[in-house]
Amino acid sequence: MSIAAYILKRLLQALPLLFIISVMSFTMLKLAPIDPLATLKANPAISQAMIKAEEERLGLNKPPVVQYGLWLSRTLTGNLGISTAGGPVSTLLLQRAFNTLLLSVLSILFTWLIAIPAGTYAAVYRGSYIDKFFGLLTAVGMSMPTFLLAMLLLMFALSSGLLPIGGLTSAYYFDLSGCAQILDIAWHLVIPVTVLTFVGLAGIQRQMRGNLLDVLRKEYVRTARAKGLPEHTVIYRHALRNAINPLITLLGFELGSILSGAALTETVLSYPGLGRLTLEAVLTKDLNLVMASLMLGALMLILGNLVADILLKFADPRISLE
Amino acid sequence: MATLEANLEASLQPTTGAPRPSAWSKIWRDPVARISIIVLFILYMSAALASPLTPYSMDFNDPELGNSPPTPVHYVDEKGAPCAPFVYKAKRMNDAETFSQFFQQDETQKFPIHFFVKAEPYKLLGFIPADLHLFGVGDGARLYIIGSDINGRDNYSRLFFGAQKSLTIGFLGLFIAFPIGIIYGGLAGFFGGAVDNAMMRFAEAVMSIPSFYLLIGLAAILPPGMSGADRFALITVILSFIGWAGIARVIRGMVLSIADEEFVQAARASGMPEFFNMLKHVIPQTASFIIVAATMQVPNFILSESGLSFIGLGIQQPDASWGNMLKFALDNINELLEKPVLLAPGFLIFLTILCFNQLGDTMRDVLDPKMQGQ
Amino acid sequence: MKSAPSQLLSALKVLLLCLLQLLLLCACSTPYPKKPLSNKGTSGLDLVSKPSAQKLFLGEESNAQQLKPASAAEIASGKVSEFFENRGKIGNFGGSLTVATFGSGPKTFNPWAATEVESHGIGQLLFESLIDVDPWTGEHLCRLARSFEVSDDKRDYIFHLRRGLQWSDGFPLTADDVIFTFGTLIKEGFGNQSLRDTLSIDGQYPSIEKIDAYTVKFRTPKPFSPFLASLHGLGVAPKHALEKYTKRPHQEFFAVWDVNCNPADLVTSGPFRVGRYVPSQRVELIRNPLYGMCDASHRRLPYLDRFTEAIVPDQNSMLVKFYGNELDFLDIRSIRGPDARLMKQREGPGNFKMYNLGSDDGTMFLMFNLNQRKDPQTGKYYVDPVKQRWFNNLAFRQAVSHAINRTSILNNVLRGVGSTLYTAESPTAIYLNKKLKAYDQDLEFSKKLLTDAGFKFSHGWLLDPNGNKIEFTLNTNAGNSIRDGTCVIIQNDLKKLGIKVNYQPIDFNILVDKTEQSLDWEAIVMGLTGDKIEPYNGANIWKTEGRLHMFDQRLPDSSGKTLVNDERPFEKEIAHCFNAAANTFDQTERHKYFDRYQEIVYEQLPFIYLYSALDLTAMRNTHGNYNPTPLGIYYTPKGSLHNIEEIFDTRAKSTNRIREQK
Repeated sequence: MSIAAYILKRLLQALPLLFIISVMSFTMLKLAPIDPLATLKANPAISQAMIKAEEERLGLNKPPVVQYGLWLSRTLTGNLGISTAGGPVSTLLLQRAFNTLLLSVLSILFTWLIAIPAGTYAAVYRGSYIDKFFGLLTAVGMSMPTFLLAMLLLMFALSSGLLPIGGLTSAYYFDLSGCAQILDIAWHLVIPVTVLTFVGLAGIQRQMRGNLLDVLRKEYVRTARAKGLPEHTVIYRHALRNAINPLITLLGFELGSILSGAALTETVLSYPGLGRLTLEAVLTKDLNLVMASLMLGALMLILGNLVADILLKFADPRISLE
Repeated sequence: MATLEANLEASLQPTTGAPRPSAWSKIWRDPVARISIIVLFILYMSAALASPLTPYSMDFNDPELGNSPPTPVHYVDEKGAPCAPFVYKAKRMNDAETFSQFFQQDETQKFPIHFFVKAEPYKLLGFIPADLHLFGVGDGARLYIIGSDINGRDNYSRLFFGAQKSLTIGFLGLFIAFPIGIIYGGLAGFFGGAVDNAMMRFAEAVMSIPSFYLLIGLAAILPPGMSGADRFALITVILSFIGWAGIARVIRGMVLSIADEEFVQAARASGMPEFFNMLKHVIPQTASFIIVAATMQVPNFILSESGLSFIGLGIQQPDASWGNMLKFALDNINELLEKPVLLAPGFLIFLTILCFNQLGDTMRDVLDPKMQGQ
Repeated sequence: MKSAPSQLLSALKVLLLCLLQLLLLCACSTPYPKKPLSNKGTSGLDLVSKPSAQKLFLGEESNAQQLKPASAAEIASGKVSEFFENRGKIGNFGGSLTVATFGSGPKTFNPWAATEVESHGIGQLLFESLIDVDPWTGEHLCRLARSFEVSDDKRDYIFHLRRGLQWSDGFPLTADDVIFTFGTLIKEGFGNQSLRDTLSIDGQYPSIEKIDAYTVKFRTPKPFSPFLASLHGLGVAPKHALEKYTKRPHQEFFAVWDVNCNPADLVTSGPFRVGRYVPSQRVELIRNPLYGMCDASHRRLPYLDRFTEAIVPDQNSMLVKFYGNELDFLDIRSIRGPDARLMKQREGPGNFKMYNLGSDDGTMFLMFNLNQRKDPQTGKYYVDPVKQRWFNNLAFRQAVSHAINRTSILNNVLRGVGSTLYTAESPTAIYLNKKLKAYDQDLEFSKKLLTDAGFKFSHGWLLDPNGNKIEFTLNTNAGNSIRDGTCVIIQNDLKKLGIKVNYQPIDFNILVDKTEQSLDWEAIVMGLTGDKIEPYNGANIWKTEGRLHMFDQRLPDSSGKTLVNDERPFEKEIAHCFNAAANTFDQTERHKYFDRYQEIVYEQLPFIYLYSALDLTAMRNTHGNYNPTPLGIYYTPKGSLHNIEEIFDTRAKSTNRIREQK
């Protein structure tokens, strides 16, 4: 079947999936005995009438099924509703989406830029100190909780004074020239990107190493060597291409999580991203915001899976799309 | 997932017949794996034997000595001659000017550290009553090896009791997630058709919700009026929710692919019940895969528990877990800059996960049939 | 050469004019503060020297910052503006102040639609009110109003506005704006309806009348002494900018001037306008060039060009940012007890100074659910009847109160930075009943109280007169190490009385749901903010039908009314004290009634008070005129910056001009 038809088929399959996800998320939220107006109620200055009015405004006193129906009909028309903390959900999401995108893209970029060469080197010079070094580095990266690493780097920033303490822009950001603004953001991104890269490095590097090792054992590599080709041609022209192919599907999965955000890292580093927004929303049962966030995340994951499968097809023509 | 599936394919291929050392001895021979196993063994033993190994119980507290720094242990007496280790009684004083508290050592009386003392009674392994502790001082003074927390509880002891929660949560989660995943995947592959489709869609839905929020959402549902033990059990159940779908998918693939194998049909002819027939043949084939996946999943559970505790939804006070002790340390970042030893729970989490990961790596290498010819 | 008589005449004229000016000068002066307010427990961190009495300064409006004194005739002609002069020392113009608040930041710049405290706080930097609290004396301080009078029957309040005041867009600020604010915006319930409820007495909203372009009259349905206090900090809205929104549905008002609006649309009367909102990162406020306050040398305030509020997720991040020199100031509630020591140590190297403002206005307490009713929907009792009997037994509550070691809580949990609390009012409140004494932990006394009431001890456990073992669940909000520590101490203290306490921390939102909705709780440790100036603002807590009468919450029925048919004698007396205090303007009487309510609470213990934290702040030495007082505290980010307009940045060069926002 052609690619276009395949994509269409997958997208159609995704619709019932999204529906199930929305029902599951909604049920989960409704079951949680959290009161979205709790902060309001705990304030002695707020009157009973005001609370009732807020409940009306936010539609909190209707039965759950009705609320779900309302949410569904609203979302299908493009209106994502208002957050219980105030402000339309779509604005909130858009504001943070760019920040999260920036962080994710940079992290993925750095991860791959480091992991591919490192994995290659480790496979080619298997057993060397560099191989062992990367083995150790990735082991540490996989084993560290992200928030702990973020906190340690924050403490380092504090004691050395070299890096800013979290956030995305400095207080005087808007006084800077365009070029200096970019530098300011880059300076603030050092810690978050380092954390996410370090943690994500392990998977790709090891995968690359393993794949390359597999390929180097294959028949055609031995043939190439026997033909007298210089080693580096063997490795970089033939083996590497075949080793990277499977990894391309991983790229698809990474794209899928591009908007999920790393909630805990963002919280520790005061980074204004989607992860932190969603976390706060879940903890305060901000229905519209959580549903929008979760659906967005799920949609991206599904799209990412789709991209991964298509890339797989391109990478390995032997695979047929059913 | 791509790798796991690839591994699975590889593991289905027949292997060469020459006799070779058993998997276990190969694992043991690798130095990194060996160290990992030893470290994990020490950690789990410490958790199991927490009560006898520590001077104080999890709940023991001295409200007069909250936030105490590590108790200084002296090895020389006033004359300068070395002697058996002892401590002094400490008294906490407030200074309103500098908002500080300091702990004055009362040097009039020495409290030697005894070994194998009788102190607070406990139940070893849950049922054997005992009251012997590895070391301790008498009731007159307190021995806080790495200081005391906000309620005057011994941090060192609580690290051991925290280990009990954090280390077991990993395994318990496995014992729930994997059987569910295997049976779910088996059923889906077994029935095939529309049932398979529906079941797999549901599993995909669960996998598509970003797992972190799924975790938090489920943890938030937990009814608040639960005892510590109940909460612990339910959190374990919740954690397993995020592990089963992946296993299910793989098992289902397995089941579908061997549904028509000859040996299955032969077994069918001999009258075995269908479903268990399947599983009986599937499980051995995927054993190595399951073992490796399990070893790699335990760290995820431990990390998730610490993540939940960081938000305040995990194991709650006054129970100790590495996650909530770490959260407390990170809440007082001021103190951390002075007393980095408060990060000990974080370091222990890191160490445990590191060992599991290294062990899993080695196991994968060993059990990977592609390597068995080498 | 003038003749002697004409010389005499002109001399007389000058004298008369001087006299007139002098008279007018005295018209609105507040009493010269007699002595500095004492701060018990402070150490070497005294309040800075007091300013001179506030003068009515008469100035001329002009584009230049310098203003000249005007004559009485010029004022009467209405051609000049009456600015209000500040009391600090003279500083230099320019520079900025960067502060932080934790949470998710303000949601709106519209204080009349604000429902949470962060938006309220920003609103107080943007909009001025008719009167406010004097940070040194606690009396009323005239802000937009030049003066006010209260009629003899105590029902009429006449406010005289200063002339020549302007909004940030140049429009004059007149009585029309006041009428619009109180007569339309608040009265018709646009935005936060609580404002209307606070100003209403027995459900009736006061009437408001415009006497002339600069005079307004409020008439309350009956004498109500908290009325003036409820006007403190309540901003006056610009009619010309907001009137059009009052023609639209009420719902839409919440979206007006929210954080995503165009800052140029905002018209303010306070020292600042909105420069920019950077989502989830910062709020940048810039100088309002038409602000009506000036300094002692008659230059228009504020000194600062810019006021920046950084938004951080929690207190830790705030501290770390302050150490990292990204913030200039840490306000109240950012420095917790355990943080104080290290902050103090860093004063030198960090180039800042810490200030101790005495006890916070909040109270932390333990309460039992005294509810004895059944849930109408399920037919079951909210609280197990066996436990109801314990909780409602006064001896039981007293025994618990005497068994808790508050000093231990203070020392362990707050590291000694705070004070133990036994009264409903915080230790620095004006109406604190000073006769109520503290008492130490006394387990023997507790045991005696219990045995005298029929409780028995058996095998180390406490039993009630019917032989039931005393056991209950204690909740507090999870994730808060200070509350955790407090509850564990209480649990251990009560264990010594043989009481088994099951401590279960739960999420804050769920906790509030329990106290306000499901009423399914037994004992809770919780805190409430208070008011140092006007205890009547806690009416919601103390009146029996109040929304926050948590120890025995009555719920409204389906029509929204709350009926009370089982009022206890002490609840009735407390409500009576509040009503009586509200009806009288005599300070001695008010003190008497408020003292009595505190006495009842002290004896009956519906809330068992535990401790009160200290308000600590830290300001870098680069900024001057920071004079915090215990009474001059607002919602953050205004916080203890009651005189934000005269705070100056020594680093700024006076030739600095603020760059125009693009």
